[in-house]
Amino acid sequence: MYSIELLNGLLCKKEEWIKAYRLRKFEEFEKLPVPSWKRLKLENFSIPDFKEYRKEFLKNDIDGEGIFVKDINDVSALDEFKEYIDVQKSFGISDKFVTLGEAFYNSGVVIKAASKLKEPVRISYSLDNENSVVIDHNIIVAERDSEITVVIDYSSLSENEEYMNFFHNGVTKVYAADKAVVNIVKVQRMSNSAYHFDSNVAFIGREAKVNWISVEIGSGISATSFITNLEKTASESSLKSIYFGDGESRIDMQYTMNHIGMRSISNIETRGALKDKARKVFRGNLDFKKGARKAKGEEAEYALLLDPTVKADAIPVLFCAEDDVQGNHAASAGQIDENQLFYLMSRGFNEKEAKKLIVEASFKPIIDSIPVEDIKESINLEIHRRLVYV
Amino acid sequence: MSEKLLKIENLETMIEDKKILKGLNLEIGKGEVHVIMGPNGAGKSTLANTLMGHPKYTIVKGDIIFEGEIINDLRVDERAKKGIFLSFQYPEEIPGVTVENFLRTAKGAVSGKQMSIMAFKKLLKEKIKMLDMKEEYLSRYLNEGFSGGEKKKNEILQMAVLEPKLAILDETDSGLDVDAIRIVAEGVKKIIENTDTSVLVITHHNKMLDYLRPDFVHVLIDGRIVKTGDMNLAKEIESSGYEALKNQLGE
Ligand SMILES: Nc1ncnc2c1ncn2[C@@H]1O[C@H](COP(=O)(O)OP(=O)(O)OP(=O)(O)O)[C@@H](O)[C@H]1O
Ligand SMILES: [Mg+2]
Repeated sequence: MYSIELLNGLLCKKEEWIKAYRLRKFEEFEKLPVPSWKRLKLENFSIPDFKEYRKEFLKNDIDGEGIFVKDINDVSALDEFKEYIDVQKSFGISDKFVTLGEAFYNSGVVIKAASKLKEPVRISYSLDNENSVVIDHNIIVAERDSEITVVIDYSSLSENEEYMNFFHNGVTKVYAADKAVVNIVKVQRMSNSAYHFDSNVAFIGREAKVNWISVEIGSGISATSFITNLEKTASESSLKSIYFGDGESRIDMQYTMNHIGMRSISNIETRGALKDKARKVFRGNLDFKKGARKAKGEEAEYALLLDPTVKADAIPVLFCAEDDVQGNHAASAGQIDENQLFYLMSRGFNEKEAKKLIVEASFKPIIDSIPVEDIKESINLEIHRRLVYV
Repeated sequence: MSEKLLKIENLETMIEDKKILKGLNLEIGKGEVHVIMGPNGAGKSTLANTLMGHPKYTIVKGDIIFEGEIINDLRVDERAKKGIFLSFQYPEEIPGVTVENFLRTAKGAVSGKQMSIMAFKKLLKEKIKMLDMKEEYLSRYLNEGFSGGEKKKNEILQMAVLEPKLAILDETDSGLDVDAIRIVAEGVKKIIENTDTSVLVITHHNKMLDYLRPDFVHVLIDGRIVKTGDMNLAKEIESSGYEALKNQLGE
């Protein structure tokens, strides 16, 4: 149970302002109902109990000149992040899960970049029976002209081992100051017994960029939200994502690009495949606010339906409070193209191999843009494994 | 007479509710080069796709016999493994797979054994050179963004690597510039000479045939082969067209 007693226990050695912040979040949390996701047929969801996550999750130690990287639970790690910890606007998959993350986080990082950093910050969680709950809270700040890449990987014990219900609930806040570049890669490849909830929000300065990559190839239930605020002139953002659903898995993606600044540019590209009885909902919003003159936004979502029993919804929406903007969306969902299949089979691939190749090929450009080799490899292996029974 | 590699007996094919091939007969011997010409919509690509086994085309009558075995019901990949190859009139784009990886996997699939990376690279280099292609194509995604002519060359590169027994070239020459036609035709010629491959060339132009020197030229009109001859028949068609031929045949 997520009670005040539990929270007080977690807060015993924390600084006063953090205590106050988390208690305030707890109050909000307590008042909110657990939401239901109708399209995913996910109602009366009960949040798995709290547990500590005791494994090391920061994989490389690059804290040093021009970069500050700390475990969010380190004493005084948060001092420099006072002004960033609270987001005034509502964001995320639901306020309930966001406040849960903010009040009860058991892990996460705070990062501040002051220069251009080549090496990515690597964070990885591998859930097991002793560490089955990850509630992470991440704050990533890139100062003017800086550049940083953060790769966060969530994996778990595989299905054929003794497992329980794994639970991940994350909150990530990204701030890119003028001319900064932030690349965030999130990889979720947990087993189908896992629940994955992830709320992301970004604020982008003048001529700054935030590039998201999201890989969703695991978890029985996965709900992710990326809300990107292109606040200043020529703010830029791209969101490239792939997903794969099998068994009874349910995937909900909610991507919003808020165009506030003039000449701001956004691009969403999502590719996925569904088999068995998997379901997915894709919601892509391009929201052009008044004053976002000459802004451009694009979104495209392509779903490959490998079985007739899957269900795929795509809801692309364009809001235009400003006339002088360009917004485009494309969405398609269908079976594998018969002529592509014929072409590959005429070169000796059997039907299964050909289908596999087409699915893997559609993911490849996005996977290839991930800057960490071993993670690429793990993703390829996981997709390959899940495609065995196509 | 050389031994027959392919025999098509009285073949009738439907697509959706439409009969396209209406009793087609054709025999191809080992190492022979056959040409099929015919007006647009006559059924040439239908023949090619039926031979390769496209699921959209249903055989309603007749047999396709390859190396003495009826293959009417074989799957597409099984036909490929038997040594049938189709160079597509409109090759598909497969973004996400590089030409090199694709060819290596295809070679393994068709031949049933995996070549070592080194041996394969060597083979590929040879073929690329023969077809005067740039090596950079190998690391590009299969046919994605290729020009019309580049796609056709890529089809012949695949043929060169896969070494089929029967290669069906469906309008491989259209979209190629003059030099490319020569290079491709000479490449095909070399493949035939080295491997005893039989070739069925579907074309509207004689340019490629000048290099290939076909043994037989067939005219396909309205789902049937209406006349068979040699290179002179191709020349006759080039100068006077199909209407004259139809009149001559009294159709
Ligand atoms: N999917 C289809 N549905 C209905 N009719 C089709 C379909 N595909 C082909 N056809 C028809 O079948 C006939 C033969 O087509 P085919 O492609 O075999 O002609 P072709 O001889 O190759 O012509 P071209 O010289 O233009 O390439 C045409 O009338 C064509 O319209
Ligand atoms: Mg044709």
